[in-house]
Amino acid sequence: MPTLGDERFEVYLKQFRPLVPEPLPTVGLGHQARRTFVLWAWITAAAAILVIGGLTLHIRSNRARIIERVGNSERFMDDRPLTIRTANVLLAKAPSFKAMVDDMAFRSQTIPVPKGKRSAIAVLGKEKIKL
Amino acid sequence: MHRTDGNTAEIEFLYRKHGPALLLFAQAVTGERNRAQDAVHQVFLKLIEKGSLSRAVDKKAYLFACVRNAALNEGKLQNRNTPLDPDSAWFSPPDRDHAAEQNLRRALDALPNDQRQVIVLHIWGELTFSQISDLLHLSSNTVASRYRYALAKLRDSMFAKENSCANSWR
Repeated sequence: MPTLGDERFEVYLKQFRPLVPEPLPTVGLGHQARRTFVLWAWITAAAAILVIGGLTLHIRSNRARIIERVGNSERFMDDRPLTIRTANVLLAKAPSFKAMVDDMAFRSQTIPVPKGKRSAIAVLGKEKIKL
Repeated sequence: MHRTDGNTAEIEFLYRKHGPALLLFAQAVTGERNRAQDAVHQVFLKLIEKGSLSRAVDKKAYLFACVRNAALNEGKLQNRNTPLDPDSAWFSPPDRDHAAEQNLRRALDALPNDQRQVIVLHIWGELTFSQISDLLHLSSNTVASRYRYALAKLRDSMFAKENSCANSWR
């Protein structure tokens, strides 16, 4: 075999590639940490979905209850004229003071007139008053 | 602990890039693959833990110095003059020529320890004579002359062996 010059011999030696070492233990840990992170992300997302779903249900049921209460109070208001007593009853049943005031403000003002009697406002409204 | 993902990623990148040459160098120092592997792992695990590689100016030379220290410390605990392990391969040979790989390993084994280190650092570690002189605390001239001697011995040893093998077949 012919003797190689220094440079060609170096090139020949470099063709032998050193073997790759075993992977670092931390690389494995990194993968594990990533897997744990993904797992925690899924758990957090599932928990968030559950919480949001629960809140939505709670809000919907509350709203339905409030609407029902308002409906009841309106029926109550329609039946009787507004007095201090009915106002007290409304205040006791309403979810808040503001709700009670709103109920009273928007209630129907038509008070039924008992049979055989006439409303003074209706009579005065029909008369032609000359000033 | 000042460990950050950026540092860890950089250290893992350096491990992939220089790991093979560092392992070979550690094998040249310790003579044994398992001890060499331990030394290289020890260095990189410490670096990941401390995250202090960013301070090193010449990172490659720094890694070789760390691996040399780790391998020598490991060697101090055990028998330092262990002969090279003849059974475990060191290289992936060209064209799967495993006989040539064994031949090269035997030739490296026949070299004195200091010459073997210089050859490995220059050929496979791709360090300059200046970097090797800093690493081994020698003058550049000493490194260059050790390299020339080692290269000549290696060539003689490898081709003498191949010629003798060829002759034995005749």
